[in-house]
Amino acid sequence: MTSSVPTLQVCRDCGGGAPVDVHFCPQCEKILSLSRHGDYFAFMGLPHRLNIEAAELERRFRALSRQFHPDFFYNATTAERRASLERSSYLNDAYRTLRDPVTRLQYILQIEGLAPQGPAEASRQAPPALLEEVFALNEELDEVRDARTAGAADDVWRGRLDRARQPIETKRVAHEAQLQELSARWDTLADRPAADAERRAVLQALGERFLERNYINNLLAGIERELTQ
Amino acid sequence: MSKVVGIDLGTTNSLVAYVKDGVPHVIRDQQGDGLVPSIVSFADNGTIYVGREAQRRLLTDAQRTVYSVKRFMGKGRDDVQEEASHFPFRIGGDGGVLRIGAGDKEFTPPEISAFVLRELKHRAEAFFAAEGEFDNEVNRAVITVPAYFNDAQRTATRDAGRIAGLEVLRIINEPTAASLAYGLDKRHTGIIAVYDLGGGTFDISILRVEDGVFQVLATNGDTHLGGDDIDVLLMDRVLATTPATSPEHMQEIRKAVIQAKWDLSERDETEINVAQDSKVAQDSKVAQDSKVAQDFGPAYAWRITRAEFEALIQPIVDRTLAPCRQALADAGLLTSQIDEVVLVGGSTRMPLVRRRVEELFGKTPHSELNPDEVVALGAAVQADILITGNRDMLLLDVTPLSLGIETMGGITSKIIMRNSTIPATGSEMFTTAVDSQTAVDIHVLQGERELVVDNRSLARFKLRGIPPMPAGLPRVQVQFQIDANGILSVTASELRTEIEQTVEVKPSYGLTDEEVERMLMDSFENAEADFAARLLIEARNEAENVIHATEKSLRASDIDQIEKEELAAGEKKKIESVLAGLKMVLNSSDRETIQKWTQALNDTTRHLAEVMMNRSVKAALSGRNIDSM
Repeated sequence: MTSSVPTLQVCRDCGGGAPVDVHFCPQCEKILSLSRHGDYFAFMGLPHRLNIEAAELERRFRALSRQFHPDFFYNATTAERRASLERSSYLNDAYRTLRDPVTRLQYILQIEGLAPQGPAEASRQAPPALLEEVFALNEELDEVRDARTAGAADDVWRGRLDRARQPIETKRVAHEAQLQELSARWDTLADRPAADAERRAVLQALGERFLERNYINNLLAGIERELTQ
Repeated sequence: MSKVVGIDLGTTNSLVAYVKDGVPHVIRDQQGDGLVPSIVSFADNGTIYVGREAQRRLLTDAQRTVYSVKRFMGKGRDDVQEEASHFPFRIGGDGGVLRIGAGDKEFTPPEISAFVLRELKHRAEAFFAAEGEFDNEVNRAVITVPAYFNDAQRTATRDAGRIAGLEVLRIINEPTAASLAYGLDKRHTGIIAVYDLGGGTFDISILRVEDGVFQVLATNGDTHLGGDDIDVLLMDRVLATTPATSPEHMQEIRKAVIQAKWDLSERDETEINVAQDSKVAQDSKVAQDSKVAQDFGPAYAWRITRAEFEALIQPIVDRTLAPCRQALADAGLLTSQIDEVVLVGGSTRMPLVRRRVEELFGKTPHSELNPDEVVALGAAVQADILITGNRDMLLLDVTPLSLGIETMGGITSKIIMRNSTIPATGSEMFTTAVDSQTAVDIHVLQGERELVVDNRSLARFKLRGIPPMPAGLPRVQVQFQIDANGILSVTASELRTEIEQTVEVKPSYGLTDEEVERMLMDSFENAEADFAARLLIEARNEAENVIHATEKSLRASDIDQIEKEELAAGEKKKIESVLAGLKMVLNSSDRETIQKWTQALNDTTRHLAEVMMNRSVKAALSGRNIDSM
């Protein structure tokens, strides 16, 4: 858990206090405006895990939608309508982020204070661990392009591309496996703030594998583009 | 309590529906017709006609009659350059909002749509009054739009509602509305694909339905693809050999090809017959001879089989397939995972469309509900949910297009991705480039493309009131909010000073609030013209009744005998010529002339009516059947 998150929010309607993760005021039962709130996981009542059961996420999303959606606040006060819009928007953003394992991991890295780098930024610079592969691949791609311009037979240059893809594909599979293993380790540590050093190490590794995997996917996409030439 | 309704504001037809005891119903006129053609006609005497009446005027006063206006909603003049020539009315305007000219007046597309909406409002009010409702006023509505409509098109639709004097409770997507109507009787769970091919737009939406929550997973479409395109294709074929001689003649041709398109959904073969230009014929004969048009054989005839028709239109139908595949991919689903396919929109009556959909999804699509009515029914259900707070069902829709802003080098930076569940937010941090800069220009776009020029410009605005600081120091957070209508609003604040910024959004293709207000005021002045239109319709209905009765009398089996025994010399001939006269003026917009001729026909046939009445009374008294006489 991140310690900087305040634990109380204030109901603007009755002035009462409420725990930060509830959506309705315990005193007056009005929908709370979205002032202080937890992260996406806390908002949806989920632990900070990387493996989330899809059906559970969907179920919570539907249940909370039924509580907040602006459709049900049409006749309410302006403040409540605003609160409903805020909470629904936040819920939808949370759902979209947590639904996809890639954005979920990215989000965890971000809220844990590790480089909130988007895939776009990440793809610009080759991660050090991949330099060798990238170098070899770029050379191969150049040669294939030259061969193609020189009129090499279709199956000849396609065959070369296929061969060039294999080591990268192997890397991808290995990375997926590492990411899964690290994710599982994170999940056991997620709720144990005491194991801080280990948590940092796992997160650090997750962050690196994540960037590398994004980069690998971009390389594969580049090969794909060449193949459709 | 005033009434709420659901409105399907279509390219070709519009409908209004309401919910009674939990069940949605389409509101129909006295003839049982639920469709109001989305056509508005501006007669030169200032009268404004809407619906069937306006549709008739396409054949008599085409240049002042506006149809398919939905295609122009939220568009600029340049957007419609290519197709402008297909329409009989003037399309003008410079940059910004497009304007449609009819006679000496000009209207924006939302104003034209507002006429249609006002007609639907009147229809609903008349219906509720007839039902004996205490308060029959209709001033709140849910209005549907194609799922693939962008922000400008949605805003234009909402503006149309406001100009028509309606509080627009919600803008909802047509395919989603249809799914609500389908989901009513069957409490089903599963993945549904809604394929909606209307007059001018195509949508595909993939939904998951569970626990009464209708969640759109992905949507795609083409706001410029529909039955209209098929009509244009067929028209071009006809025009290649038979050039239209007037805008009205062009409409005759359009009417003929539309009829053929309909026929071919039922039959294997039909004939497209285009009469000679009746206006030209009329002018040359100066109306002394009553038997006008009949004397002219069809100027053009084209026998067409369904196979030929399908070969012709297949490229258009196939343009719907790529959006379907994209929506499936975005939803992360295979066709085999779709449980049900629902057809919506009049164009899905075409057998070819049904076959292609069935081939793509590998299942027989549903079409139990009338594809023309299902959207309005769903809109009524949504209106009912909003007003009653009924939580049995909930629609969760998505934004069809990604939202972004222009960044350096004319690149679009996406802030809210397409298919995000709405309401949704996104934010972006801006800073200044020079010392003491107090304003930043922001350009908001919608679309999937990389370059700004390839996407739709929604608005430009200036962030003002940034506290003067050294360059790069201010941190202005701009928050983009897409509400449940799919419509964008923007707020901004400088994070260091927590100063709220003023955001004046100038829509690229929309109306400002002031313009909408002014149009609303103008529309009150049109109320008088509306009244005149109503009187004309009544006069025409009465004329039609008299024509019908007269024709029936003239077809009586004993008419020759009656003429010989009871009528004055030339009396029948006179009746026939007055009848022909009334038929000729029937479609004119001159109410007095119609009434005069109606009266004349009434007078001329009075004697015949008496004679026939007497004979039938006599026959009845003597116990004999008149037919046997």
